[in-house]
Amino acid sequence: MTRYGMVFDIKRCIGCNACTVACKQENSLPDGVFFTRTLSAESGEYPNVSRTYLPTICNHCEDAPCEKVCPSGATWTRDDGIVMVDGDKCIGCGSCAVACPYDMRTQIEETQITNGLFGDGKLTPFEEQGYSRFECGSFTKCDFCSERVDGGLDPACVATCPTDARVFGDLDDPDSKVSRLIRDRMGRQPLPEKNTRPKVYYID
Amino acid sequence: MFKVSLKNVLRPGFAGGTFKSGYRFQKYWDTPMATAFFCGETGAGLFIVSMLMDFLPGIILGLLITGVGKTFFHLTHMGVPSKAWRALLRPDRSWISRGLWGIVFFVGFGSIHVLGMLFNVVPAGLESAVYILAIAGAMVVVTYQGFAMSHSTAISFWSTGLMPISSMLYGLLMGTSLVLVLSLLGFSISNPEYFSMVGLAQIALIIAVQICLLSLLHGAKNGSKGAQQSYILLVKDFLARPFLFGVVGIGSIIPLLILLFIPTNFITSLIVTGCIMLGFYLFRLLIFKAGVLDPILSPADIFKR
Repeated sequence: MTRYGMVFDIKRCIGCNACTVACKQENSLPDGVFFTRTLSAESGEYPNVSRTYLPTICNHCEDAPCEKVCPSGATWTRDDGIVMVDGDKCIGCGSCAVACPYDMRTQIEETQITNGLFGDGKLTPFEEQGYSRFECGSFTKCDFCSERVDGGLDPACVATCPTDARVFGDLDDPDSKVSRLIRDRMGRQPLPEKNTRPKVYYID
Repeated sequence: MFKVSLKNVLRPGFAGGTFKSGYRFQKYWDTPMATAFFCGETGAGLFIVSMLMDFLPGIILGLLITGVGKTFFHLTHMGVPSKAWRALLRPDRSWISRGLWGIVFFVGFGSIHVLGMLFNVVPAGLESAVYILAIAGAMVVVTYQGFAMSHSTAISFWSTGLMPISSMLYGLLMGTSLVLVLSLLGFSISNPEYFSMVGLAQIALIIAVQICLLSLLHGAKNGSKGAQQSYILLVKDFLARPFLFGVVGIGSIIPLLILLFIPTNFITSLIVTGCIMLGFYLFRLLIFKAGVLDPILSPADIFKR
C-alpha cells in the first residue's frame, strides 16, 4: 500500500524559501499563514560558525497527535497516510495546535481573510478564488498538496525546490527515492522522542 | 506584566513566529481557555463538595459557574462556536469530547437533582441514579482538563500525570473555600459538624496543592529541554513574579498561614477564599503561558555539528 512521505536533504537546502512561496501560491494562503517554512539555525562558536537551513512541514505522523485529540473528527488520515483537515468540521478549539509538537497548525483568523494580502480590505481575484476553501476560525495545515498528488504530481514545494533538497515519494516502496535516501543516508525523524512516528525525514 | 510579547518571544533560544529554529510558545490556548478551565474546575469542585453535604446554595452556584461561565468562555475561545456541538462526536479518543459529555451529564443531572430537592419532582427510585450521574459528570469536569493537557507530548511541561491531579485538587479546594464563605454568609449547612470537617479539608487541600506545585516544578526542572524552559520561565524569567508571588505566595502560603494562626470568621474566610481564587486563576493562566514547544530540529543535537 502507498504511504507518502518526504525527505529533506539538509546539505542541499540553500534557505531560499522558494518552497514557502510556492506553497503559499499553490494553497492561496492568507497573510501570516505558512504550511512550510525553512528555518535557519546557527551552530558553533566564532570563528567556526555554520548556518543550517531546516525545511519544516507537517510531518503527517503515523500516530498523529492532532488526529487523536480532535473532538470533532475534522482531522483524519487517508489510506495513503496523508493527514487531512476538513475545515467544515473543525470547531476551532485549538487542541490540535497544542498537541502538535512541530507547531504546524495554523488558525485562519477573519482579519487574515478580509484584509487581503495588501491589507487594504480589497481581495484580488486570486484571493477571492483561493480563500473560499478556508473557514474563518478553523485550523488548517499542509496536506502534501493532495490534489496534485492525486493527479500524479509532486507537492508544490517539492516541484519548485531548485536544489532538489525536498524529495517526495512512497515510503512503502523499497525502491523509491525516499526509501533509498532514508536507508542509505540514515534518515532521521524530527523529535522522535514524542512518539508520533513522522513520515518526514532529514538527511545530512 | 507577563504578556507573551515580541520582546519575550525573541529572547535567545526562543523562535516565536520567526523563521529561526528554537523554542516556541504555544499560543492558541490563552486567557479565555484558562478562564473556562478555571470556571469548570471551580464549579465542579463546589458542586461535588456541596453534594456531599446536601448544601443547596453551593450546588446551584456550582452548576451556574460551570454551565454558564465555562460554556461562555469556551465559546469565546472557539474559532467556530456555531459548530461547538461537533465536539461531542469523538469521546472515544478526545478528552475535549469526553469533557463535553461530562458537562452535559453534570449540568443535566445536576439540574434534575436540584429540581428534586426543591420540588420533589424526581421519582423516589431514580433519586440515587440522578445523584450518581451528576457526581460522575462533575468528576469528569473537574479532571478532564488536566487529562486534555497531559494527553499530548508536544508540550513537555504539560505532559505529566500531575495535571489532572492539580485540576482536581484546585477544584476541590475552591469548592471547600466557597462552601465555607457561603455558610458564613448565612446559608446554613444542614449538619453543623460538616463545617469543621470542611475547614480541615481546606487546610489539607492547600498542603496537597503546595506539594503538587512543587512536584510540577521539580518534574519540569529535571525533565526534557522544553520542560526546563518552562521551569525557567516560571521561576526565573518574566513569569516568575506572578507565579512565585501570586500562585505560591498569595495563592497557597498566605491562606495556609491565615487558617493556621488566625481564628476563622467571615472576613478571614473571605480573604482566604479570595487569595486561593487569585492563586488558582493565575496558575491556570501561567501554565498556559509557560507552555513551550521543543525546537523542531536542533542540528547541534541531531547531527552533532
